[in-house]
Amino acid sequence: MEFAVLGNHVRDLRTVRRMSQAELGAALGVSRQTINSIETGRYLPSLALAFGLARFFDRTVEEVFVVEQR
Amino acid sequence: MSNRDRNTRTFWLTPICGVVVGAAFAVGSWVGGHPASGFVFLVVMVVFSGALVVVSRRSETVRGLLDRRDERISSIDLRATAASGLVVIATVIGAAVVEMARGHSGEPYSWLGALAGLCYLLAVLIQRIRG
Repeated sequence: MEFAVLGNHVRDLRTVRRMSQAELGAALGVSRQTINSIETGRYLPSLALAFGLARFFDRTVEEVFVVEQR
Repeated sequence: MSNRDRNTRTFWLTPICGVVVGAAFAVGSWVGGHPASGFVFLVVMVVFSGALVVVSRRSETVRGLLDRRDERISSIDLRATAASGLVVIATVIGAAVVEMARGHSGEPYSWLGALAGLCYLLAVLIQRIRG
Protein backbone atom coordinates (compact mmCIF):
# COMPACT_ATOMS: atom_id res chain seq x y z
CA MET A 1 0.00 0.00 0.00
CA GLU A 2 1.45 3.32 -1.05
CA PHE A 3 0.17 6.78 -0.24
CA ALA A 4 0.97 10.15 -1.78
CA VAL A 5 0.22 13.56 -0.30
CA LEU A 6 -1.21 15.64 -3.13
CA GLY A 7 -1.80 18.88 -1.24
CA ASN A 8 -3.27 20.42 1.87
CA HIS A 9 -5.82 22.95 3.11
CA VAL A 10 -3.54 24.73 5.57
CA ARG A 11 -3.75 28.09 3.78
CA ASP A 12 -7.57 27.97 3.65
CA LEU A 13 -7.87 26.95 7.30
CA ARG A 14 -5.40 29.66 8.35
CA THR A 15 -7.06 32.46 6.40
CA VAL A 16 -10.48 31.50 7.78
CA ARG A 17 -9.00 32.13 11.23
CA ARG A 18 -7.44 35.39 9.99
CA MET A 19 -4.01 34.29 11.10
CA SER A 20 -0.69 35.16 9.53
CA GLN A 21 1.85 32.48 8.65
CA ALA A 22 4.10 33.84 11.40
CA GLU A 23 1.31 33.53 14.00
CA LEU A 24 0.53 29.95 12.98
CA GLY A 25 4.23 29.11 12.99
CA ALA A 26 4.62 30.57 16.48
CA ALA A 27 1.61 28.58 17.72
CA LEU A 28 3.14 25.36 16.39
CA GLY A 29 6.77 26.11 17.26
CA VAL A 30 8.01 26.36 13.67
CA SER A 31 9.09 29.24 11.45
CA ARG A 32 6.96 31.32 9.08
CA GLN A 33 9.04 29.88 6.23
CA THR A 34 8.05 26.35 7.20
CA ILE A 35 4.34 27.23 7.20
CA ASN A 36 4.79 28.85 3.79
CA SER A 37 6.61 25.78 2.45
CA ILE A 38 3.86 23.48 3.75
CA GLU A 39 1.13 25.64 2.22
CA THR A 40 2.83 25.70 -1.17
CA GLY A 41 3.50 21.95 -1.05
CA ARG A 42 7.27 22.33 -1.12
CA TYR A 43 7.69 20.71 2.29
CA LEU A 44 5.93 17.65 3.68
CA PRO A 45 5.76 18.00 7.47
CA SER A 46 6.61 15.26 9.94
CA LEU A 47 3.81 13.17 11.40
CA ALA A 48 4.06 15.15 14.65
CA LEU A 49 3.71 18.50 12.89
CA ALA A 50 0.90 17.18 10.67
CA PHE A 51 -1.01 16.14 13.80
CA GLY A 52 -0.16 19.47 15.39
CA LEU A 53 -1.68 21.31 12.43
CA ALA A 54 -4.77 19.11 12.44
CA ARG A 55 -5.32 19.51 16.19
CA PHE A 56 -4.77 23.25 15.95
CA PHE A 57 -7.57 23.57 13.39
CA ASP A 58 -9.76 20.97 15.17
CA ARG A 59 -9.63 18.70 12.13
CA THR A 60 -8.32 15.24 11.37
CA VAL A 61 -5.07 14.82 9.46
CA GLU A 62 -7.06 13.54 6.46
CA GLU A 63 -9.14 16.72 6.49
CA VAL A 64 -6.04 18.90 6.41
CA PHE A 65 -3.94 16.89 3.95
CA VAL A 66 -5.12 15.55 0.60
CA VAL A 67 -3.91 11.95 0.47
CA GLU A 68 -4.25 9.53 -2.41
CA GLN A 69 -3.75 5.79 -2.22
CA ARG A 70 -1.79 4.41 -5.16
CA MET B 1 15.08 20.66 32.16
CA SER B 2 12.31 22.62 30.41
CA ASN B 3 12.01 22.96 26.63
CA ARG B 4 12.97 26.63 26.97
CA ASP B 5 16.19 25.75 28.83
CA ARG B 6 16.97 23.05 26.25
CA ASN B 7 16.38 25.46 23.35
CA THR B 8 18.57 28.11 25.01
CA ARG B 9 21.38 25.59 25.49
CA THR B 10 21.06 24.35 21.91
CA PHE B 11 21.03 27.93 20.63
CA TRP B 12 24.38 28.71 22.24
CA LEU B 13 26.04 25.41 21.28
CA THR B 14 27.19 26.45 17.77
CA PRO B 15 28.54 29.92 18.74
CA ILE B 16 30.38 28.39 21.73
CA CYS B 17 31.81 25.64 19.48
CA GLY B 18 32.96 28.38 17.09
CA VAL B 19 34.84 30.17 19.88
CA VAL B 20 36.31 26.88 21.16
CA VAL B 21 37.53 26.00 17.64
CA GLY B 22 39.03 29.49 17.35
CA ALA B 23 40.77 29.03 20.72
CA ALA B 24 42.08 25.61 19.59
CA PHE B 25 43.49 27.22 16.41
CA ALA B 26 45.06 29.95 18.53
CA VAL B 27 46.69 27.48 20.94
CA GLY B 28 47.88 25.29 18.05
CA SER B 29 49.38 28.26 16.22
CA TRP B 30 50.95 29.59 19.43
CA VAL B 31 52.55 26.19 20.16
CA GLY B 32 53.74 26.07 16.55
CA GLY B 33 55.42 29.42 16.91
CA HIS B 34 52.88 31.55 15.03
CA PRO B 35 50.92 33.33 17.80
CA ALA B 36 49.90 36.20 15.50
CA SER B 37 48.11 33.98 12.97
CA GLY B 38 46.57 32.06 15.88
CA PHE B 39 45.19 35.32 17.25
CA VAL B 40 43.73 36.14 13.82
CA PHE B 41 42.05 32.70 13.70
CA LEU B 42 40.58 33.32 17.16
CA VAL B 43 39.29 36.78 16.21
CA VAL B 44 37.74 35.44 12.98
CA MET B 45 35.92 32.66 14.85
CA VAL B 46 34.75 34.99 17.65
CA VAL B 47 33.43 37.49 15.08
CA PHE B 48 31.76 34.68 13.12
CA SER B 49 30.11 33.30 16.29
CA GLY B 50 28.97 36.77 17.35
CA ALA B 51 27.61 37.44 13.85
CA LEU B 52 25.59 34.22 14.04
CA VAL B 53 23.94 35.36 17.28
CA VAL B 54 23.23 38.86 15.94
CA VAL B 55 21.88 37.66 12.56
CA SER B 56 19.68 35.06 14.30
CA ARG B 57 17.56 37.94 15.67
CA ARG B 58 16.55 38.87 12.12
CA SER B 59 16.83 35.62 10.18
CA GLU B 60 14.46 32.70 10.84
CA THR B 61 16.84 30.39 9.01
CA VAL B 62 19.88 31.25 11.15
CA ARG B 63 17.77 31.11 14.33
CA GLY B 64 16.43 27.70 13.23
CA LEU B 65 19.94 26.45 12.54
CA LEU B 66 20.97 27.49 16.05
CA ASP B 67 17.99 26.51 18.22
CA ARG B 68 16.91 23.49 16.10
CA ARG B 69 13.25 24.04 16.95
CA ASP B 70 12.12 24.08 13.33
CA GLU B 71 12.00 20.59 11.80
CA ARG B 72 12.31 21.87 8.20
CA ILE B 73 15.41 23.95 8.93
CA SER B 74 16.89 21.04 10.92
CA SER B 75 16.26 18.83 7.87
CA ILE B 76 17.96 21.42 5.63
CA ASP B 77 20.89 21.50 8.08
CA LEU B 78 21.16 17.70 7.96
CA ARG B 79 21.17 17.61 4.14
CA ALA B 80 23.63 20.51 3.93
CA THR B 81 25.93 18.72 6.39
CA ALA B 82 25.69 15.51 4.34
CA ALA B 83 26.45 17.44 1.13
CA SER B 84 29.45 19.12 2.79
CA GLY B 85 30.66 15.71 4.01
CA LEU B 86 30.39 14.28 0.49
CA VAL B 87 32.41 17.16 -0.95
CA VAL B 88 35.10 16.73 1.73
CA ILE B 89 35.24 12.94 1.18
CA ALA B 90 35.47 13.39 -2.61
CA THR B 91 38.27 15.92 -2.11
CA VAL B 92 40.13 13.60 0.26
CA ILE B 93 39.85 10.70 -2.21
CA GLY B 94 41.03 12.95 -5.05
CA ALA B 95 43.97 14.19 -2.96
CA ALA B 96 44.91 10.59 -2.03
CA VAL B 97 44.87 9.59 -5.72
CA VAL B 98 47.06 12.58 -6.65
CA GLU B 99 49.50 11.76 -3.84
CA MET B 100 49.70 8.13 -5.03
CA ALA B 101 50.23 9.29 -8.62
CA ARG B 102 53.17 11.35 -7.37
CA GLY B 103 54.74 8.17 -6.04
CA HIS B 104 53.82 8.74 -2.40
CA SER B 105 51.79 6.50 -0.10
CA GLY B 106 48.70 8.70 -0.22
CA GLU B 107 48.98 9.58 3.47
CA PRO B 108 47.41 11.30 5.29
CA TYR B 109 44.53 11.48 2.79
CA SER B 110 44.16 7.70 2.56
CA TRP B 111 43.78 7.56 6.36
CA LEU B 112 41.23 10.39 6.31
CA GLY B 113 39.26 8.55 3.61
CA ALA B 114 39.37 5.35 5.64
CA LEU B 115 38.20 7.26 8.72
CA ALA B 116 35.30 8.76 6.76
CA GLY B 117 34.27 5.33 5.45
CA LEU B 118 34.51 3.81 8.92
CA CYS B 119 32.46 6.65 10.46
CA TYR B 120 29.79 6.19 7.79
CA LEU B 121 29.52 2.44 8.45
CA LEU B 122 29.40 3.03 12.21
CA ALA B 123 26.71 5.71 11.80
CA VAL B 124 24.59 3.39 9.61
CA LEU B 125 24.98 0.60 12.18
CA ILE B 126 24.03 2.84 15.11
CA GLN B 127 21.07 4.36 13.26
CA ARG B 128 19.89 0.89 12.25
CA ILE B 129 20.02 -0.35 15.86
CA ARG B 130 18.23 2.77 17.11
CA GLY B 131 15.52 2.19 14.52
